[in-house]
Amino acid sequence: MSAPREHRESSEPMRASRGGGYRRVAGEYAGLVIVLIAMVCLFGMSSRHFIRVQTFATIANQIPALTIIAVGMTFVLVIAGIDLSVGSVMALSASLLGMAMVDWGWPVWPAAAFAVLVGLCCGLANGFVSVWFSMPSFIVTLGMLEIARGCSYLSTNSETKYIGEAIEGIGAPLAGIGLSPAFFIAVGIVIAGQFLLSRTVFGRQVIAIGTNEQAVRLSGINPVPGKIIVFAMAGLLAGLGGVFQASRLSSADPNAGIGLELAAIASVVIGGTSLMGGRGSVISSFLGVWIIAVLQTGLAQVGATEPTKRVITGIVIVVAVIVDAYRQRLGNWRRPLRS
Amino acid sequence: MAGSSTKSRLHFASLILLALGWVAILGCRTRSESPAEKQAEKTAERPRIALIMKSLANEFFSTMAEGAKRHQAEHSGQYELIVNGIKDEVDVTRQVSLVEEMVAQEVNAIVIAPADSKILVPVLKRAQAAGIVVVNIDNKLDSEVLAKNDTRVPFVGPDNRAGARKVGEYLARQLKKGDKVAILEGLRTAFNGQQRRLGFEDAMKGAGMEIVASQSAEWEMAKANAIASAMLSEHPDLKALLCSNDSMALGAVAAVKTAGRAGAVAVVGFDNISAVQTAVKDGSIAATADQHGDKLAVFGIEYALKIIQEKSSPEDKETPVDLITAETFKEASKAPSK
Amino acid sequence: MPFTESQVVLRLRGIRKSYAAPVLRDVDLDIAAGQVHALIGANGAGKSTLSRIISGLASPDAGTMVLSGEAYAPRNKAGAESRGVHIVQQELNLVPTLSVAENLFLNRLPHRCGVLRRRELRDRACGALAMVGLAGTVDPDTPVSQLGVGHQQLVEIAAALSHDCRVLILDEPTAALTDPQIDLLFEHLRRLRAAGVAILYISHRMDELRRIVDHATILRDGDVVCTAPMNHLTAEEIVRQLTGKEIQRESHHCARQRGEIALQVDRLSRDGVLHDVSFEVREGEIFGIAGLVGSGRTELLRAIFGADVADRGGVHLGGAAEGVRFREPRHAVKAGLAMIPEDRRQHGLLMPQPVLSNVTLGNLRRFASWWGRIRARRERDSAQHFCRAMDVHYQGLDQRADQLSGGNQQKVVIARWLLRDSRVYLFDEPTRGIDVSAKATVYHLLNELAGQGKAVVFVSSEMRELLEICDRIGVMSAGRMTAVFRRGEWNQEKILHAALSGYSR
Repeated sequence: MSAPREHRESSEPMRASRGGGYRRVAGEYAGLVIVLIAMVCLFGMSSRHFIRVQTFATIANQIPALTIIAVGMTFVLVIAGIDLSVGSVMALSASLLGMAMVDWGWPVWPAAAFAVLVGLCCGLANGFVSVWFSMPSFIVTLGMLEIARGCSYLSTNSETKYIGEAIEGIGAPLAGIGLSPAFFIAVGIVIAGQFLLSRTVFGRQVIAIGTNEQAVRLSGINPVPGKIIVFAMAGLLAGLGGVFQASRLSSADPNAGIGLELAAIASVVIGGTSLMGGRGSVISSFLGVWIIAVLQTGLAQVGATEPTKRVITGIVIVVAVIVDAYRQRLGNWRRPLRS
Repeated sequence: MAGSSTKSRLHFASLILLALGWVAILGCRTRSESPAEKQAEKTAERPRIALIMKSLANEFFSTMAEGAKRHQAEHSGQYELIVNGIKDEVDVTRQVSLVEEMVAQEVNAIVIAPADSKILVPVLKRAQAAGIVVVNIDNKLDSEVLAKNDTRVPFVGPDNRAGARKVGEYLARQLKKGDKVAILEGLRTAFNGQQRRLGFEDAMKGAGMEIVASQSAEWEMAKANAIASAMLSEHPDLKALLCSNDSMALGAVAAVKTAGRAGAVAVVGFDNISAVQTAVKDGSIAATADQHGDKLAVFGIEYALKIIQEKSSPEDKETPVDLITAETFKEASKAPSK
Repeated sequence: MPFTESQVVLRLRGIRKSYAAPVLRDVDLDIAAGQVHALIGANGAGKSTLSRIISGLASPDAGTMVLSGEAYAPRNKAGAESRGVHIVQQELNLVPTLSVAENLFLNRLPHRCGVLRRRELRDRACGALAMVGLAGTVDPDTPVSQLGVGHQQLVEIAAALSHDCRVLILDEPTAALTDPQIDLLFEHLRRLRAAGVAILYISHRMDELRRIVDHATILRDGDVVCTAPMNHLTAEEIVRQLTGKEIQRESHHCARQRGEIALQVDRLSRDGVLHDVSFEVREGEIFGIAGLVGSGRTELLRAIFGADVADRGGVHLGGAAEGVRFREPRHAVKAGLAMIPEDRRQHGLLMPQPVLSNVTLGNLRRFASWWGRIRARRERDSAQHFCRAMDVHYQGLDQRADQLSGGNQQKVVIARWLLRDSRVYLFDEPTRGIDVSAKATVYHLLNELAGQGKAVVFVSSEMRELLEICDRIGVMSAGRMTAVFRRGEWNQEKILHAALSGYSR
């Protein structure tokens, strides 16, 4: 019997960390990066004012909330779940943040912590209900979408709360750098998320649960805590997203984040994470967020009409999902190795 | 490996699709640009003005944007125009992003119809700090928040409160004292919505009507229809519904018809969009107010150009609001025949 | 052939079929009108494949079929049914959300211009149900999902009976039925027989065969070994024909030192599935479990392992006085049990994931820092070591598990448990569907584990391999352990007798 040969280049979803990793990692993200660069070039050709540092700084300061919510969504999709409530949960924690600071006069840090906690609680509720009653997360989070939105209207009396400078620190660009602290935090969370997913026991179990929950259970692992933690994380990040959002707007807007869950799912799926679970990458989701943001900004700068914008955004999402489906099928095409 | 080449072929395919989309946008753009304009672009650096609207799916705003584009086509030598909107009335975040993007693009002026009267203030202040002329149209920014931020943004537009009062007073003349009426408000976060509600209230209280209900239908027809239906069944003796825009008025008219009380319940609106004109003519909507929506953006743009040229200190500027009733259309149709 | 030309309804000649291995080799079969014809065979003898071919669910690789003098080659089940050939399968094929009546007439609902004629449907359903004695007990309008398994089976039989059929195939029809229901079914079969219908009857139950069957054909390893009138065959003769000649080769067995009792199963029961199963396995012992498909072998292992929760009884580990019933597999794993499941695709592997994470699933903590970071080098080294130990043929640890052959996939699942170092290993059909060399690796491993003093429970449908490597064999039959044999005490006949004994009532 022959000894196992050393692994050749291949495109597994779960990255191994060692041995010729750089080329494979580059290969994994190359497609998305090429699409991104191509988009930038195209926009640069059609608008004189697009390719400049300020444009990208502007985009970077816009995306922290969407980015961290996409990180949470990546984990949720990897366990073959879905979280439709993130937009509403973000609005709810922003609203309660506004209430804490404006009506109760709290200082910014405890209020922010409170907002994050609110998000965490919503996420925990999603997780517990869907796991204990074994209900599809689609339904549970659809319920949470309405509940959180309603609560956010109730708590603000359906009115925008203007908070003012006290909250602006996180979202405003730092002097001299042009990027906001929120952006750096978001990048940190992306890196931490990718590490968590690919290099830790928890991440490995999350991927395993999304692939085959029965097999996980029969190999002596309890899948329940993992699933709950993933939903809790998504909620917590949505809460933090609420803080970023409130900081950027200097206000708590109870209408914020309507449709954000779809933008987050779109970014994650563009990044190649499978809706069927078991496969995903946080970094790719981050690139997906960039693609959506550059698309949005670029189309605004060339002055494309609203209908055109929507058509093009839709095409990009569908193309990305087609590519995703083909990549999966490619995996199945490969013949089993018989020795 | 066969796999990787197929994969790169797929990426290639998506790039081609993207490029095709591109050609489509460029096609749309170049068609709207005249050759003369291109000439002008080469010769002189014209001021670039960004018009940031609310939802362009709303006819009121799309009319406004159309008016601005027409104006620009007629005065293409004077300025360049970039029009942007958001997908619905509540997508404030996107509007903030749009302002930031326009600042990044270093336009000379921003003319904006804010989706929220408070949230936009800080970002507009930042735009001013970057040396950009900002003109506020349609929905007036919250003066308190402006004061807190220690900034001023000139408002060009109609006095919504006065306009609503006019509509309300016209309605009051057709009702009896003590009749029950209800108000459908716009988005409560929007200043113009608040102003219109106040205008309606002024008129109703002045004429001694009883306001039995006042709810927000968030500017939307479907929501207005549902809320109006509820109000009609809650108050069987309701005599009038005052709606803060025409979309909601149309929703309310449908609700009145469904309830079988056409003729017994009067409906008034605001904005005079083309869809209500037949309804006004046949009397199912008693009155609406025309704030010359197609010209509102133009007023703002002209004012912005004036500020750029004269470097004048910005003051608010009021634009006219006219009452529109069935008689208005009769007079209009008589006028040319004379 | 024992039948006259005019009697034969269905004639099969040279039917051949192979999947991975040949399943049917040149099978000839004649089925006569007005007779109940039994098909008898051990697991994997080819009974089900043959019935699937006749009923259009599978097509033969070679051979011809003639039905009533005309060539017969059904493309699918509907094609077979249009020629009057119907099958009642072991697995239920009912639509659970539809009513009994709708299920009975699913492909020929009475209607006028597409609108269902409820009254007619109901009347016809009542008639069909009367044939299986359910007319008074089951309302045709109840959804099928609300019926018990026995009644569902009867509904399925009624659906087949309600057709005008020339050939009716019944695959283990009585598995879920009570005695009165069986009596009723037989009564109806006799009526059909009198009406000239040919019935092909597949069952393990000797007593039933005696009651109803006219003629029997015995299959062994895809060959027809005997066909004769039922009253010419004694029970001993049937078992002798089923087993063929005794296999003497015992090359894989090694003598070992046996230690303390490692696992004692004490009257473990799960309602309707397992009845008071007791046995014990010592350290260094390989305990085989034989039995027919559906006799409760997989269910027994799952109940021991906590994948399903047992209702009564328990297991004692390492000679503990206190018995336990595990509620979750993770409790069993903690207590030192390991289970290699029967269905490796559904229950064992993470198919699209790399070999690496398949091997180390369940043991990740061993390679992780205190806060959960996986030490990649340790993980890979360890995974590689155990893959080598299991002789997995792969391109690398990053290759996806679904790209491996069946045998290598099985090795990967086993490697996962080797990494864990358990005390008791439960193997459920580890050699099913894998090639010869992979089987040899598995046998070698079982011996090695036993040699290290582990207790091994080994379920298999292949009698030969059980005889070769086990120290003792327990036989499951209808949810009971009907016999336990020591090496030397057993022969194939005894084991088959025990495997069939639970089904006699």
